[in-house]
Amino acid sequence: MSAEVTARTRRRLSGLGRVEQRWGWFFALPAIAGFLIFTIGPMIASGVFSLTDWTIGLSPRFIGGRNYHTLIHDHLFWKSLTVTAYYTIGSVPLVLIVGFAIAMLLNQKIKGLSFWRTVYFLPTLVPAIASAVLWIWIFNPDFGLLNALLRGAGLPTSQWIYSERAAIPSLILMSTWGFGNAMVIFLAGLQGIPRQLLEAASIDGAGTWARFRSVTLPFMTPTIFYNLVTGVIATFQVFNQAYVMTQGGPNNATLFYIYYLYTKAFTQGQMGYAAALAWVLFVIVLIVTLLLFRNARSWVYYEMGDAR
Amino acid sequence: MSSPTWRPNRRELLRFAGLGAAAAAVPGLAACGGESVTGGSTSELQFMYWGSSFEKTAIEAMLTSFQDSHKNVTTKPLYTPDDYTTKLNTLVASHRAPDLAYLGAPDCFRFGTAGNLLNLYDYIDKYPGLKDRLPYTYFWYGEDKLAGIQTANEVQLLWYNRTAFKDAGLDVPPADAAKAWTWDTFVEMAHKLTLDQNGKSADQSGFDPTKIRQFGCSIGTVLGLNAEALVRSNGGSFFSEDGTQCALDSAATVKVFQDIADLAYKYHVAPTTTQLGNNAPTTTVQLKTRRIAMVADGQWDLLDMAQSDLDFGMGVLPRYTKPVTIGQGGATSIFSQTKNKDMALELYLYHNDPAKVKLFSDGLWMPLEKKYYTDPKLIDLWTKNKAHPAEFKSAVIDYALNNAVATWTQSIKNSAAISELITPPLQQVDNGKKTAAEVCKSVSQKVQPLLKGSYPQGDLS
Repeated sequence: MSAEVTARTRRRLSGLGRVEQRWGWFFALPAIAGFLIFTIGPMIASGVFSLTDWTIGLSPRFIGGRNYHTLIHDHLFWKSLTVTAYYTIGSVPLVLIVGFAIAMLLNQKIKGLSFWRTVYFLPTLVPAIASAVLWIWIFNPDFGLLNALLRGAGLPTSQWIYSERAAIPSLILMSTWGFGNAMVIFLAGLQGIPRQLLEAASIDGAGTWARFRSVTLPFMTPTIFYNLVTGVIATFQVFNQAYVMTQGGPNNATLFYIYYLYTKAFTQGQMGYAAALAWVLFVIVLIVTLLLFRNARSWVYYEMGDAR
Repeated sequence: MSSPTWRPNRRELLRFAGLGAAAAAVPGLAACGGESVTGGSTSELQFMYWGSSFEKTAIEAMLTSFQDSHKNVTTKPLYTPDDYTTKLNTLVASHRAPDLAYLGAPDCFRFGTAGNLLNLYDYIDKYPGLKDRLPYTYFWYGEDKLAGIQTANEVQLLWYNRTAFKDAGLDVPPADAAKAWTWDTFVEMAHKLTLDQNGKSADQSGFDPTKIRQFGCSIGTVLGLNAEALVRSNGGSFFSEDGTQCALDSAATVKVFQDIADLAYKYHVAPTTTQLGNNAPTTTVQLKTRRIAMVADGQWDLLDMAQSDLDFGMGVLPRYTKPVTIGQGGATSIFSQTKNKDMALELYLYHNDPAKVKLFSDGLWMPLEKKYYTDPKLIDLWTKNKAHPAEFKSAVIDYALNNAVATWTQSIKNSAAISELITPPLQQVDNGKKTAAEVCKSVSQKVQPLLKGSYPQGDLS
């Protein structure tokens, strides 16, 4: 009797389970199909294209790994990689520091808090192209805001994006404009820090710095890590600034990797070679991300040790 | 009892994903090898073009009137003001190329040599209107292979603000090639026309080059069309005619490049590339606001100038030894997959016929056929109107007929790759960072492997 009941219960549950499972797949299907058709499919296609000599207008010809071989000897490939790495190394830490600092400020109890939070997030909402055009004017050596400020303070001025040496630092400076997203995530992280720990630290006599150093910062490491990884991935794909502001110049100083890929694919029609460029970037970003994850073990703190 | 539910393990999931991916990739791959799938239908001709909103309106009107005067055909404008090559490449890759299209020189030769374009040479006898055009307006990719002809003609000129000359008490630039200023005269004039905030000109003592109100002149970049005209005037060139040798480091070329850079960095009579900016105002605005007194630029500016209330004038470019200008323009080509080739050719001849399109009389375009430069009646057809000033005949028509040569991209092979290599380093000359001699020497060595000769030019005479 009892065995029979158990069996019946189990069968009924598994029946329900079956229905749920089927519906689960059904509901997940649009996302899965989209991922397969619009992400995995094109990825595989571009992998195949990267093994061909395909110039738009001509039929593709299979050439094996020759595109990848050409790449090694293409000085513009190395130039674009260097430029992009330079930008990433400069921009990511700067955005993290600025975003974190402002998140700390906006985590205080002050009047009009939500107003200030909105104000600091606003630049992020400006469309990318609009802000690029705005910055062209800010960087204008003759009438631009930055040089006007420097002149006003009696400091030497700069040619900004028009100078080979200053172009990337200028764009790094400009990238802090987009700190809003990182800031919001930091802010969420800061709100998650257990109040009792900060209070306990205060009672034990810890000052502001000690509380920041020993409580806030360790609790924030997962958030910092998240912003670091997404920041690195995003900056490797920087494009708008070169496209709108500098066209890769002067003298290829701002020839970002994706901009170079774009000109190869859509200006010169060399689809096979551009696909090879895309795959190389994918592998580079993958390796950098894996290295970051490996390195994270030594400095990212999770409250629940297993959650990593 | 086996589990009634499907619980895919990781391997199964991956296999499933692989299948889906393969399925997704198949149509894309299958399309690569195939022939053209679709084009304009038999009765539809698609016309792809760029240009200002003004050109957009004029081309739409041209297409409508073609449609009205031809039975069984509809036309469809594909107006693409930005990212033109991107869109065109995408259309060609997906086998949906337009029937007729504007093409920049690199694209015209790329699609022509790939066999994507109708070889217009095969239709020369049937459509004699394709002959008798100015020789530099053709895009040959072989002696009997014609990828396209310029949409319209353009030459480089010296535009100026008459008031600026009047205020300085100077004679305006000559409108006659035979009387073209020498380079030295041009530089002297530029000095007199460059004024600082206190009204001192660049040839006076006490002139402050850091506070310039009006620059004397602007020639543009050293790889631009004006610079090329001056190089040719000095007996130099960018590349040898057969396209096998780089001539950028020849004495004649280097001298002109350095002379142009000196205007901005030695004499302060022209804006630097930085002062001009990546988003410089148009020539009309530069002249009207008197930021610059003389600007070398193309004939196409006439459309803008004529509509502004600027008191402008047109002159010929300065010369070194002989007066030379560059005659050029983007191509119009027919894609070979067009269904109705004869109708496409009809439209081809119609689309830039000065009797049919008002862009000629408005000042944007110049005709291609020689007769519009020699027959007084036909000259009147497109120039006897408010837009064209009195000096137009000698400064533009005669100049285009007698002194114009083609630009290097119209015959040298591999020009896209060559441009990609030589442009960035030569920006250092434009920026005043390095001397022309220094840059040209290193560029010439680097570009040599990219030189693949030139396209043989056909002969229609």
